[in-house]
Amino acid sequence: MMSVFVSLLSLRGMGSYGYSDPAVFILAGYVPFRLLWQATMKKNMSALGGAMGLLGFRQVRLFDVFLARTVVEGGVFLVTALLLVLGLYWLGIDAMPHNPLGTLRHLAELWLFAASFGILACVLAQIAQEIEQVISMLTMPLLFVSGVIFPMSAIPYQYHSIFAVNPLVHGIELIRENWLPMYVSPIADEKYLLAWIVITLALAVTGYRLRWQRMIAA
Amino acid sequence: MIKVKNVSKYFPTRFGPKYVLKNLDFQIPDDRDVAILGINGSGKSTLLRMLGGIDFPSYGRIVSDRFISWPLALSSGFQRHMSGRENVRFVCRIHGVRDTADIEEYVKDFSELGKSFELPVGDYSSGMRAKYSFAVSMGFDFDTYLIDEITAVGDVAFRRKCKTALQEKRGTANVIMVSHEEAILKEQCNAAILLAYGRAEFYESIDRALYRYRNL
Repeated sequence: MMSVFVSLLSLRGMGSYGYSDPAVFILAGYVPFRLLWQATMKKNMSALGGAMGLLGFRQVRLFDVFLARTVVEGGVFLVTALLLVLGLYWLGIDAMPHNPLGTLRHLAELWLFAASFGILACVLAQIAQEIEQVISMLTMPLLFVSGVIFPMSAIPYQYHSIFAVNPLVHGIELIRENWLPMYVSPIADEKYLLAWIVITLALAVTGYRLRWQRMIAA
Repeated sequence: MIKVKNVSKYFPTRFGPKYVLKNLDFQIPDDRDVAILGINGSGKSTLLRMLGGIDFPSYGRIVSDRFISWPLALSSGFQRHMSGRENVRFVCRIHGVRDTADIEEYVKDFSELGKSFELPVGDYSSGMRAKYSFAVSMGFDFDTYLIDEITAVGDVAFRRKCKTALQEKRGTANVIMVSHEEAILKEQCNAAILLAYGRAEFYESIDRALYRYRNL
């Protein structure tokens, strides 16, 4: 999938909008989106189905499953990203984040948002099963409206406010801003993303606390 | 001593809460092996799961200072893609056992799985899995074993082995058992809890409890 995007962007002529090499551009956008957001969110959402067996031990609580899955997905991302950076370095492309600490911080924000959204989805899916399918269906369109394969600077100015509603846009743009040396996002707003994280996380843990006994009884 | 204090359990249904157990209040002494009796749907397994701490009462509390096993049921929870040995390690670690080698070898030996012990648990046949999960629980020194209809599995030789293993544990442990087979209950238990009409009655004699149970 990644190589498809890279070749598409490269074929388009000097793709990636001149901010960096196409491969680095995809690395800074698609990989966090796919591994940190999609994978973490989905794993948390389906935590209940996959780990039912483990809940047969009193030592294992549902929250442990959430925690374990979130940590594993974060680790998978770190390893994958590191390998890709090293691989690109080997090919002669410098893919290191321009501002590593800032990048890590925004990656962590995206990761936390994915985990809390996933837990919330898992809690809600216990009330109405269809929610899981709706969210799964939304992941592909989200890829296109979250500015993963194009930067927000490529969007006409009058549509910025519409795209900026989506918190994922802010996460991706902030990561890109810190990863690529030249890019400055026209809309990225960390406070907005943090507000989403705090609200989702609060709803997720509240919902979990209210419902966990009933969730594992099912 | 396991104290069941005013425990109620209901399941939400679309007709409102359906009470399975209502205001149960009894104590299970340490030196008795208890059978839980009741017709289908009377809450036997639910009570056992609540004693095992993987289900929770809607009201009331269950208090105990004993080291209670997980409920040994046919569908005991193991991670399907991990091998038998890895699952043993996992169970050891969540029970606070750091040195897992002894228990691993004990389980391998007891379950008679041989090389299959290194294969994923998901690939085991149901008989193998039953043997395996019984062996894992025998690897620990629990104070109380919760057994849900599991002694009736396996071939004759293995069943005899289970019986002797349980008998050996008797010195330090007691058993709480759910089963429909009266012969097994009579052999293994010397007290009973009869669940009927959402209530529980504690019987000091298994024969009297079985008599009541037959005449429900």
